Amino acid sequence: MSAATSGWFWKRQQKWAPYYFVAPFIILFLTFGVYPLLHSIWLAFHITSGPKSAVFVGLENFRFLLSDPDFYKAVRNTAVFACFSVFLQLPLSLGLALLLNARWVKGRNVFRFAFFTPHLVGQVFVAVLFSVIFIPKYGLLNVSLHRLLGVGLETKWLGNPQLVMPALVITSLWMYVGFNMIYFLAALQAVDNQLYEAAQVDGANRFQQFLHVTMPGIRQVTVFVVMMSTIGSFQLFELPYVMLNGSGPDKAGLTIVMYLYDTGFNTGDLGYASAIGWTLALIVLTISLAQLKITKTLKPGG
Amino acid sequence: MRFLALGKAPVVILVATLASALYLSIHPVNESPANLHMWTFAKSHYDAYIDGIPAFEAAHPGVKVDVQLVSGVAVTSRLRAAFWSDLDVPDLVEVEISSAGSFFRGPMRDIGFSDLTNWLDQSGWGDRLVRSRFAPYTSRGRIFGIPHDVHPVMLAYRRDIFEQEGIDLSKVETWDEFVEIGRRMTRDLDGDGVPDRYMIELEDNGAGNMEMFLFQRDGGYFDKSGNLVMDSETALETLKWYVPLVAGPKKIANSLAGGQIFTQALESGYFLSIIAPDWRSRTTEMDVPRVSGKMALMPLPAVRTGGRRTSTWGGTMLGITKHCKNPELAREYAVHIYCDAKNLAKRFPSINIIPPLKEAWALPEFNDPRPYWSGQPLGKLYADLAEQTPSQYTSPFIGLAKAKLGEAVVACVLYYNRNGERGFDEFARRTLKSCADDVRKMMKRDPFQQSDAEHPGGRQ
Repeated sequence: MSAATSGWFWKRQQKWAPYYFVAPFIILFLTFGVYPLLHSIWLAFHITSGPKSAVFVGLENFRFLLSDPDFYKAVRNTAVFACFSVFLQLPLSLGLALLLNARWVKGRNVFRFAFFTPHLVGQVFVAVLFSVIFIPKYGLLNVSLHRLLGVGLETKWLGNPQLVMPALVITSLWMYVGFNMIYFLAALQAVDNQLYEAAQVDGANRFQQFLHVTMPGIRQVTVFVVMMSTIGSFQLFELPYVMLNGSGPDKAGLTIVMYLYDTGFNTGDLGYASAIGWTLALIVLTISLAQLKITKTLKPGG
Repeated sequence: MRFLALGKAPVVILVATLASALYLSIHPVNESPANLHMWTFAKSHYDAYIDGIPAFEAAHPGVKVDVQLVSGVAVTSRLRAAFWSDLDVPDLVEVEISSAGSFFRGPMRDIGFSDLTNWLDQSGWGDRLVRSRFAPYTSRGRIFGIPHDVHPVMLAYRRDIFEQEGIDLSKVETWDEFVEIGRRMTRDLDGDGVPDRYMIELEDNGAGNMEMFLFQRDGGYFDKSGNLVMDSETALETLKWYVPLVAGPKKIANSLAGGQIFTQALESGYFLSIIAPDWRSRTTEMDVPRVSGKMALMPLPAVRTGGRRTSTWGGTMLGITKHCKNPELAREYAVHIYCDAKNLAKRFPSINIIPPLKEAWALPEFNDPRPYWSGQPLGKLYADLAEQTPSQYTSPFIGLAKAKLGEAVVACVLYYNRNGERGFDEFARRTLKSCADDVRKMMKRDPFQQSDAEHPGGRQ
């Protein structure tokens, strides 16, 4: 060891260097991550008018939230969308993945790319595109329905509160079925072929192979996709916001995040918006834990 | 360099960072040389203001004006963020009427706009502009914005189609007469069971059109004192009258969408008439050029014979922010762009917007016949109605009130489509009351409005 590398200065550098390296991240994380998070807890107990005026109200924001019909509407809309995402979109994605994983399908790569492409264009573009498709009288969907079935020309997909959610679901299917398919496809390709061969030897039919070989094989990815879809659904904002130019008729497209945004940045009540935000976090956390619990109990021998 | 345990790179990064910081602290980012910064969200306004800058700068040596075009949604969010952070606040800003009320939330001291009440009174501009147009920009008795426009409303209609049917729509005086003609004119022309022609374009999924009828009847969301009146008897009567126009088997109105869809609908005669505030007369001219010469304007039918023949739809205010370092210069610029009769007259043919400055209406530009509107003097027609334009009072809760009135309209439309007149009156009353109560609940929990109401410091 030379004199230069054994001196006090050298040792000091070695001791503090890791801290210097992580310092930029830590500073930014504390400033833009931790501080706003802690401040939002403080805000949730205040009624505010922007950041300059705040009145302490204790739990009033949370109490009001429980009697706020718009919040319930937002929770209901978001939950319905999340249910469709999990129970309709994911089975379709899995079905598509199974289909495009089959060797007998010609041009599989082209189809895979085609189904994945909608996700590349972004939610805002998709929202604009579908708001045109859903136009009554002249829109592609209504004109097609009218020509094929003789009905539906005046159907107001985005103007009738009862049709807003189906329209959002249809749009999200187009956008996300192909995206989630990619996850399932990757998982399917990782399932060992020898397991299928062994199942065949044991006399398992196609459905039994799917149930006892494929499903356990893709279980981890399925849990991941279900959880991400659920969390993504609860964060839904751009798609309805652009498609409906707000929350839509009778707030049929109002989501929790949209309500949070509107309360905070249009009404200026950052306190109530923070209370909504923390309630949303609690909802997502509860659902995620429940999902983990359920999937754990479904584990063979669990 | 044996004494550097991590080599030269961290030292170079550190030196570069310190040098950059030092340089920026000595040479801060160049600020705009302008003395006045203004934001507007409308391209037509922007073009007019840019044209007017040289004259203002020539009259005020050493003054530079910077006008920025900011998109409608962005101007609201950027302005709110600027007020909250006290950063990058413009000196003057145009705000759209539907979001103006939201800037009046909180204690009076927190409102980002300067109180213009005394200046308007003392300078006399308050009396030279249409008084009713200050209402949307007034909070707790104080005025925070100068109105850009009056936006009286007329009815624009396909004169050619009505003439083919032997109907002179301009002779219609009341909505009852209009609806009676509408029942005859709304038709399924090709026999496929779907109407191909509607008397008027009105929406069934929001409060946008309904509020215009409410204003015509002297109703509104809030009264002069800021009390919620959206469930008044007037509002209920308007709702009960409006819903059968857009719902049920005898409906005479429908709505589709804007842009090319609207163009096609008006061109093809799907809509025979539209509600046309002054600004919309211009957008119609631009969006539907093929019906030039086939369109005409008439005052809105009245609720009763001899009643008000117009209403109001839309609006913009010009506010001077409290951050403005030279409010006097800002007020002079406001007068330059809003209160110069000759400039307003010059601008009128390209925007069709009636300015609140009454003395401008007599200028020749407002009397020019317009070929698009079958040779009618568009400016004069609107100006004749401008003084009748009803007041629309605002509140920080205006956005919520609009949304709730929209919910009431939608609920009533769905009910009427299912049940018709059976139980409709009671349902409409109950729904409107319930929606208004939601707004009241939200207003009740606002501590700022209440404390200022106890010590208003302003006039009512």
